[in-house]
Amino acid sequence: MDWVFLSELAINGALTGLLYSLFAIGLVLVYKASSVPNLAQGGLTMVGAYVVLALARDLGMPLWLAIPLAAVVMFGLGFGIERVALRRLAGRPVVMILMLTLGLDIFLRGTTLAIWGGTSRSMELGVSYEPLFLGDIFISRIHLVGAGVALALFVAFMVFFRTRTGIKLRAIADDYMASWSVGISVERGVGLSWALASVVAVAAGVIWGEIQGVDQALSLLLLKGLTVAVLGGLDSILGAIVAGIILGVIENVGAEFLDPLVGGGSRELIVAAVLILTVMIRPHGLFGRHDIERV
Amino acid sequence: MQEKAQGQSILSMNSIEVLYDNVMLAIKGVSVQVPKGGMVALLGSNGAGKSTTLKAISGLLKAERGHISRGEIKFDGTDITEMLAQKRVEMGICHVIEGRRVFEHLTPDENLTAAAPMGMSRSELSVEKDKIYDYFPRLAERRNSQAGYLSGGEQQMLAIGRALVTQPSLLMLDEPSLGLAPFLVAEIFGILQKINREEGLSVLLVEQNALAALEIVSEGYLIENGRVVMHGTAEALKSNSDIQEFYLGGGEGANFHNVKHYSRRKRWLS
Amino acid sequence: MFYRLSGVYHSSLISDSRMFKVPADRNLAVFLLLIGLAAPFILPSLYLNSYILPWLIWTAAALGLNLVTGWAGQLHLGYAAVMAVGAYSAIHAVRLGVPWEIALIIGGLAASVIGSLFAFAALRVKGLYLALTTLAMQFVMDWVLTHSPTISGGSHASLQAPTLALLGQQITSDAGYYYVALGWCVLVTIFMLNLKRTGLGRALVAVREKDFAAAILGVNSFYYKILAFAASSFIAGVSGALLVATFYFLAAPEQFSVNVSIQVLAMVIVGGLGSIIGSYFGVALILLVPGLVNGLVVTASEELGMQVNVETLAHIPNAVYGALIVIILMIEPLGLGKLYGNIRDYLMTWPFDQLRK
Repeated sequence: MDWVFLSELAINGALTGLLYSLFAIGLVLVYKASSVPNLAQGGLTMVGAYVVLALARDLGMPLWLAIPLAAVVMFGLGFGIERVALRRLAGRPVVMILMLTLGLDIFLRGTTLAIWGGTSRSMELGVSYEPLFLGDIFISRIHLVGAGVALALFVAFMVFFRTRTGIKLRAIADDYMASWSVGISVERGVGLSWALASVVAVAAGVIWGEIQGVDQALSLLLLKGLTVAVLGGLDSILGAIVAGIILGVIENVGAEFLDPLVGGGSRELIVAAVLILTVMIRPHGLFGRHDIERV
Repeated sequence: MQEKAQGQSILSMNSIEVLYDNVMLAIKGVSVQVPKGGMVALLGSNGAGKSTTLKAISGLLKAERGHISRGEIKFDGTDITEMLAQKRVEMGICHVIEGRRVFEHLTPDENLTAAAPMGMSRSELSVEKDKIYDYFPRLAERRNSQAGYLSGGEQQMLAIGRALVTQPSLLMLDEPSLGLAPFLVAEIFGILQKINREEGLSVLLVEQNALAALEIVSEGYLIENGRVVMHGTAEALKSNSDIQEFYLGGGEGANFHNVKHYSRRKRWLS
Repeated sequence: MFYRLSGVYHSSLISDSRMFKVPADRNLAVFLLLIGLAAPFILPSLYLNSYILPWLIWTAAALGLNLVTGWAGQLHLGYAAVMAVGAYSAIHAVRLGVPWEIALIIGGLAASVIGSLFAFAALRVKGLYLALTTLAMQFVMDWVLTHSPTISGGSHASLQAPTLALLGQQITSDAGYYYVALGWCVLVTIFMLNLKRTGLGRALVAVREKDFAAAILGVNSFYYKILAFAASSFIAGVSGALLVATFYFLAAPEQFSVNVSIQVLAMVIVGGLGSIIGSYFGVALILLVPGLVNGLVVTASEELGMQVNVETLAHIPNAVYGALIVIILMIEPLGLGKLYGNIRDYLMTWPFDQLRK
């Protein structure tokens, strides 16, 4: 085995993995702040990318303006989702909330495509397609940019969850009733978490849209995002980053060995296997909280 | 203004009825007054409606699909019957809910931060925290460990401390003695009394442990089947023979009293 | 008035545990069954075979999922994969010369075996984590299907279903397909109605409410979970096989993809967890309404002379489908079955309750 080739696989895998983290952070944010699974992140990512494109292409804004503006729009959308849909289901069994977010995902995807059509569009961020060379190793620039964005968001949210608002959000995830009893606005907190997840979705949508085009395939990131989130621990942002890197490396290196054996397309299989193994062996993931039970 | 309000009740609750799920009538016309700076206990057996009374006051009923169907609650002269729970906390009502529900995955220090009002500045918060750690020195020792791993007594202290951060003028506690060793109950009640004396904090205490509760409060209400069946000063209640028998576990010649027990009970429940 | 309980009483346990306790319910069921039997003579075969038939088979499938999710409380996001196992095993069995009757049972049993694998996940985790595991298993099954030409039928990844034949009769007419679907749906419904009043049904509910509390009462939750998964998978397998035999005629992996799993779960939850009548409503809503709305949009745009983008039209059903899930959950989280119950309770006293006011 060629070491240069192997490290190229690993490094590119890790970078791609960080892009999965970018997606997974949206899941983790909502779970960390409300103990609710957010299976609508795929739909949100798609909407985020399309809103950026709509502002940039249809209204002719420059991208540096369109992206922050889209983030603002999505921030509002996230709050709206809590206000309209989730609030009524607060405290219901997880089945129903799970279904609600799946329904939202389907609705967001359907609506986006009904408005903007299903043909793939390109983001055209203006990042050069020329690969960088690190010694003999090829590295894609856009992946590097995306990984940087993921790490920046990671740092930002680590700081955020130490602030008073962040601590209040974590308190909400722990116990709705106790939060109400000390005057924390649970509704606003959950809304904020969805709003932040929607902003993250813009970032993920832009980066992934640049890599694979803006179309409905963006929502297919859900399985990978979920795997990363679960592997890292559903409520751990650090976990999302570390697990993203791990999954990216396993996927990239594993596929290289497995593909010739099974005739290609083994990436999904690897991801699904990682998800199953994680849940079976260590459901709370690498850094997730154990649920403390005292008798 | 402050002078004028002296001697008045901080909380007055007039013939409140609470419905759960639009069908279950949990309390049927309960009236409770808490004097400013006073300590009042609600006594009664399981399912009598004590916790529901507290939730009606704190606004937490909504979370359990209950609502006030009749009556009004006034706090400091303002009608709060329809107010959001969060607003009531801002006004100064804080409810320490049953079962020591601390934020388990946060440290005690973060638990206190989480309860801080958004308007409280960082320095005010740290003064407030120091004050709470003074009251509960046990918490200070463990301020940075995970709250879920604290002992039962420490968790109860944390729950009370967390409520104090919200700057309440009325503190309501739901069964703080539940599942705690007697010496811990005494310690916690002692601290409550101290806070009441030092800061003039009004306290409304729900207890099944009537003996301990009547030691520290000035007056008490006895609630049975969703109604107030008795009201009086702590001394009066302690000396009442019914209370002694059913709630304080005293009484003489238990066997002989079984007959009487029935007839006395019957007088209340109708 | 129309739905009465007055005068209905039971004086023994046997009579109280009858399938239909209220005559009005029984009469309604008989009436609906008669309509079902008469449908081919009333409805044009286009409606019969493109709406009613899939509705019946999906209802049978949804009832199977309701068994495991509604009764036993185990989230399952890999149900379509189990249906696929049943469909492919049955079709391959028939292609190898096995008669359809036995092939359907083989399909059901094969699905049971694979479906029980999902149960092993359920023994380890619950709730959200179980949903994620079953979702991942669905992806694995999808992958296996699309990557093994011997199963999925060669390079085009489609497998022609041989002509359905039951009891020595070749079934080729539209009415014939319909009756097969109706028969299966009625069979599953009767099974589910009976499950409610057996020890098995009660044990499943106990496992759902609190599995360790059930264990303390002597209910072996391990055993019942596997049983629930196996029984539900059997129903899934046969439903999958019949779906291909009478509706698709051609089996392809995307008919049983992850989206289909989500769709069946949506049918069950929108219908109401644990509600049999609700599953009928839920399937009708999820399966038929998006198409209807799309039809309405087309008609409306033609009437108004508006040009609606083809792509827009293509995606409206999906948007409607998602919106339906969200809206129903918002109106009544317990689903259409609960709404039906509310209406029934209202009719119980109507119009006499008006007099009282």
